[in-house]
Amino acid sequence: MIHPGARTAAARPPGTLLRRGLLGGVIAVGLVVLGIFPLVVTDPTATSIAFFTVVFMGAVSAWNIFSGYSGYLALGHAVFFGSGGYAVALAARDWHVSGGWAVFGLLPFGGLIAAAVAIPFGLIALRTRRHTFVVVTIAIFFIFQLAAFNLGFTGGTSGIQLPFAPFSPTTYNNPFYYVAAIILVLTVILSWAVRRSRFGLQLLSIRDDEDRARGLGVHTRRVKLAAFMISAFPVGMLGGLYFYFIGQIFPQYAYDPLFDVSLALMGFLGGIGTISGPLLGALVLESLQQYFTQKFSANGLYLIIYGVLFLAVILILPGGVVPGVAGLVRRWRVRTQRQSAEAADAAPRGVAGAIP
Amino acid sequence: MSGTALLQAIVDGILTGGVYALMAAGLTLIFGVMDIINIAQGAMVVLGAYLSYELSAKAGIPLLPGLLITVPVMFVLGVGMEFLFMRRVREADRAAMSILVTFAVAILIEGVLTRAFGVDYVQLHATYIDRSIYVLGFYLPWIYLIGFGLAVVLLVVLYWMLYRTQFGRAVRASLQNRTAADLIGINVDRTRMIAVGIGVAVTAVGGFAFGATNAFNPNSGYDLISRLLAIVILGGLGSIGGAMAAAVFMLVVNDVVAVAWSPTWAPMVFFFALVIVLSIRPQGLFGRSGVRAQ
Amino acid sequence: MKQLRLLARACAVVVAVAVLAACGSSSGGSSNGGGGGSSSGGSGPITIGASLSLSGDFSADGQAFQRGYELWVHDQNAKGGLLGHQIKLDVLSDASSPAQVVSNYQNLIGSSHDPIVFGPFSTLLTLPAARVAARYGYAFVEGAGGGPAVFGSGLHNVFDVSVPVKDNLVTFARWVASLPASQRPKTAAYATVNDPFTQPQIPVAQSILEAAGVRTVLSKVFPAEVTDYTPIATQVSSAKPDLFILGSVDVPTVSAFVHTFIQQHYNPKAFIATAGPDQGATFVKAVGNGNENGIFVPNGWFGGFKKADSQKMVQEYIAKYGGTPSDVNADVAEAYSVGQVLAQAVQATHSFDNSKIIAYLHSGVTLNSVQGPVKFDSLGENTAQQTLTFQWQNGNLVQSIPTSVAGASPPQYPKPPWGG
Repeated sequence: MIHPGARTAAARPPGTLLRRGLLGGVIAVGLVVLGIFPLVVTDPTATSIAFFTVVFMGAVSAWNIFSGYSGYLALGHAVFFGSGGYAVALAARDWHVSGGWAVFGLLPFGGLIAAAVAIPFGLIALRTRRHTFVVVTIAIFFIFQLAAFNLGFTGGTSGIQLPFAPFSPTTYNNPFYYVAAIILVLTVILSWAVRRSRFGLQLLSIRDDEDRARGLGVHTRRVKLAAFMISAFPVGMLGGLYFYFIGQIFPQYAYDPLFDVSLALMGFLGGIGTISGPLLGALVLESLQQYFTQKFSANGLYLIIYGVLFLAVILILPGGVVPGVAGLVRRWRVRTQRQSAEAADAAPRGVAGAIP
Repeated sequence: MSGTALLQAIVDGILTGGVYALMAAGLTLIFGVMDIINIAQGAMVVLGAYLSYELSAKAGIPLLPGLLITVPVMFVLGVGMEFLFMRRVREADRAAMSILVTFAVAILIEGVLTRAFGVDYVQLHATYIDRSIYVLGFYLPWIYLIGFGLAVVLLVVLYWMLYRTQFGRAVRASLQNRTAADLIGINVDRTRMIAVGIGVAVTAVGGFAFGATNAFNPNSGYDLISRLLAIVILGGLGSIGGAMAAAVFMLVVNDVVAVAWSPTWAPMVFFFALVIVLSIRPQGLFGRSGVRAQ
Repeated sequence: MKQLRLLARACAVVVAVAVLAACGSSSGGSSNGGGGGSSSGGSGPITIGASLSLSGDFSADGQAFQRGYELWVHDQNAKGGLLGHQIKLDVLSDASSPAQVVSNYQNLIGSSHDPIVFGPFSTLLTLPAARVAARYGYAFVEGAGGGPAVFGSGLHNVFDVSVPVKDNLVTFARWVASLPASQRPKTAAYATVNDPFTQPQIPVAQSILEAAGVRTVLSKVFPAEVTDYTPIATQVSSAKPDLFILGSVDVPTVSAFVHTFIQQHYNPKAFIATAGPDQGATFVKAVGNGNENGIFVPNGWFGGFKKADSQKMVQEYIAKYGGTPSDVNADVAEAYSVGQVLAQAVQATHSFDNSKIIAYLHSGVTLNSVQGPVKFDSLGENTAQQTLTFQWQNGNLVQSIPTSVAGASPPQYPKPPWGG
């Protein structure tokens, strides 16, 4: 007769309950830290850096939904960032939205404009693959930047001013931070939902082998375009938020090539295609970069430190930090499991497992 | 718009295209052989320019003979870069990780140059830089003629190297199919290392041409890289002749639009043209389709 | 697998938060004696904060600004500091990035509680930075944010000690218009980079010149990102205008035009560039020795300015960094003037209270600086200064227009041939 406990124990690998509990705990801790950070660390420099960091965490996560899952390296997401920024700036000016909380309500509009821009952008760019795709995204990015400089309604070189937000100076950063945090959480949930869905599976299959995916019946063009648009929306919102925080949008900062490269860097550093990887990459890179610039910027020293740090991480953890660390942890676990299996062999039978 | 002005613009475009071809040649070689998007190319051009500057301003060695020193130095740099960094990147992620690695190298180069030379602008000087030759009603500056000439010479040399030597055959074999190349006894690692070295060495010449036609400082590499990338892709991966054709095409379009319409729209027209061409012919003007699984 | 990754994430989050918190507390804790905004009790040093572009696009100017600020701090401390307190300068770098400049001023004002701040370089960075300062009620005295966007922003705390850029070319244009008809240039070409500093200047000059009968043969705007100026420069040389006005922001632009003109055997009768020729030795080296002669540049200041405090500053600069008075970058004087204006405001109000400083600076009082008199209108523009126009003559940058100014050297017109 099979003991009821034996059936339950045999159905799940040992320790799953513990791992799932740990996972839930980790998420809870992360959310708590995100939520209370500005309340605990009230220093405006820290919250300012934290704001930019959270914005980048959200942007990289959104970028990852497309580039990470589909394997297509997009270096033109600044188009969405800037377009969202201009959309919010123009709307605030032309619809006479007063500074303060009301402007936050314009952010989804920025996201929508970005997603709309993604349609023609995607239709053109997604006809190409691999290296060509990368360059086409760069070219379209420059088209947008030049248009921003030259078309009258964007304010040209002087840019557009965004409304003043009448928040109190000591806690000025907090509303921005929280809005960014909300967008971040929603983006991560979106990323997770995409990953777990059939749509996400189709994307991953495109990354693995696009031709085979097409052969298996995946509508690759549609899937890629949809992912492109989905990844554009949060980036557009974050762009609007970012320029609202700074107060002014200029063409060369709205469409900044360094932004594109930063997204890719953060994604790769953390581990592209994972959910937590982009978060980690952005967290580390953006906060470190602002900190380093403040302290070490004279004479290019910070550039040297940055570059060396970079190379060190890439060489030691070439797949990115998260998969690298996960790999290390896995090897450690395999080793300990083998050790405990050897120990169990030596022990008297019948003790492990079934009998409660 | 007068015919002379148009012709002048075309001539300008062709000549400046030579300078850009010099800068991009190394990039296309590395790109083609290593599957690496070398974001550091702009920084390397500036580095080459600074090396020429150091030799001419401090040691009094004239620019062209100075190339005999800067080219080998950059070769060693390229070999070192491949050996230390690029080789360690996993094959599967190579195209993508290369962005990270080369960006880090670019930052490093910029930081080192800033410490060594400061941020003030400098320019390479030689008597022929301001002189020009009068041909058929146009003044053709010597420096651009030299740049164009060097580009053609380099094109021929690299073509000869790739298609007429054993080494070149090894490079093309590793490019097409790494495993097969390995199997027939080609030392793929060493071949790649030398190819990257050559690619960076060629950039020294590009640096000379750039530095002689522009005032520069350590920060000047950023503006270049997007245009160089565009040239290389438009020309077709690994095709040196393609890079030359694309560079000339790009600059001619740029210059004609600048003169006929407005300089602010000129770069945009170029990028439009690039996008259109690539949508129709993704492998670029002279790339071969199916050379590698796309 | 997923769980392991998330575990790694948790550890990293904890570590990163610890790092951030350490950053936060360390930058907060680095504030120096001097405390809040208005106390002047005690005799500990007071810190003046500034964010400068020590790397990136504006690095050459940022460095010059830093030297100017440092020179002023050194001189003021020699005079006993401000209200008896020695001054300590706290400079953060913003790498020419607006996001960084915002964090920097949050650091300087919000975390370090520096009682006074100076402005950064460039209109593009001044705007976001000024907004941060405005939130805290800080006065924002600066020397390099003069684009119209700054004054149209609705901020009341911004004070630009340098001449508002829009009128930079007026003195020169008026002089050209005043030339007798036989000497006056018949044709003119205008080319400018699309930058908020230069672009507004051109139409102002153009209208004065066209009214005087100078025909416009070419007027072009070109993008800042261009690395190849030859088509525009060649087009200008083909048109062979008598007068060429270049809207530039840096040395490479002017240098490219100069070299193309030489290659094309074109020498305008008059050549003025809005920025670049004011950068001293760097400019001469780029265009080549001998080629700088005859080129005009508008500015509020130059190294040979015959004003006592200016000459003293120039001597100190040369003693420290070498070179000649013409080599001194105009940015140095702009920065130095910022310090002087603030010092006068502090001394007049006997306090470091920013609201009192703002009120004082808006009161219509005329102050002194190495660049000349300073008087702010309601927008923060300096209306007291006139633009001077300078010309390189025999390897030196001399003040030339208005010819009525004491010590002015008459303009060399037509421009001497290229001498490089």
